[in-house]
Amino acid sequence: MSDAVVLPNDPRSLCEFLVRRLVDEPDAVSVTQEAGDGGPVLRIAVAADDRGKVIGRQGRVVRALRTVVRAGGARSNERVTLEIVE
Amino acid sequence: MDDLTYEATGETVGEAKWAALRELERRFPGLDRTGVAFQVLTEGERGLMGIGREPARVVATLGERPSGAGEQSDSPSPRPSAPRRSEAPRRAVAAPSTPQSDTAEATAVRDLVVSIASGLGLEAAVHVAESDTELTATLSGEDLGLVIGKHGKTIDALQYLVNAILTRGDDGKHVVIDAQNYRRRREQALHETATRAASDAVRLGRPVSLEPMTSVERKIVHLFLKGQGDVETSSDGREPYRFIVVAPAGASTE
Repeated sequence: MSDAVVLPNDPRSLCEFLVRRLVDEPDAVSVTQEAGDGGPVLRIAVAADDRGKVIGRQGRVVRALRTVVRAGGARSNERVTLEIVE
Repeated sequence: MDDLTYEATGETVGEAKWAALRELERRFPGLDRTGVAFQVLTEGERGLMGIGREPARVVATLGERPSGAGEQSDSPSPRPSAPRRSEAPRRAVAAPSTPQSDTAEATAVRDLVVSIASGLGLEAAVHVAESDTELTATLSGEDLGLVIGKHGKTIDALQYLVNAILTRGDDGKHVVIDAQNYRRRREQALHETATRAASDAVRLGRPVSLEPMTSVERKIVHLFLKGQGDVETSSDGREPYRFIVVAPAGASTE
């Protein structure tokens, strides 16, 4: 019946899952987590042609991504920051 | 009515189905959900401003009495295709659905939302209802305030992402994400806000600006006030802070 992928409950996994689903080249996606001053920083790397898909018109996609991923980190009171790397 | 059948009510058909299913699962722990058939008696009436509201009524019937009571459900468990690192055991539950009506689109929506819910650490079940123009995925479970967020910010972002992922350029059906009846509560609140703004605009004889809203919410307000001859509506400002202006009819200065 359901083929739903079960994700571990951490912001990086959720972020990577969502970005892979948004782009044309999921294999080129990598999301790495670093500790930042204000909480974890997720660095998103995608194929050059896919950057627009992750950012979206007027940044709407990346803004939605940030909101959803932050909701996942909200329980542990971590303020997650997203960055799209060149 | 025998104990294999249960009639339940809810604010939506999905909620009524869930209520019925929960009762059957209480009677027959570990029942096979795919063996449950649902009959929708009435889809319910939304009513206007709380008047004339009717609950949805659904009858759930279990095909056959489970042989071993208390047996574990044999519904296929979700495959963990990502390594599980979390300590606490969690479940991603696929919602009950009438198998015939489950299109590939509905399945894709449910699988995606179930995965996202698991990534958010939620124990939520997802039910998908399909109409000609929309697919509505409703989450039910504990702790869903997190998925709604302040002023619905999170659920709107989630909905935007799901649409961005699933439509991918082609014009598939629009996907609506709902939880705890948020969409309906929000719609009612918008109607109340609109009614108040309209009466203020007429009484004061000048335009009244509303708080910024998403395009979907602005559309609800525009449509709601369209039928009222004494006011005109327009939008002003830039996304994401675009807002509606309600003005007395004929007084538009634009």
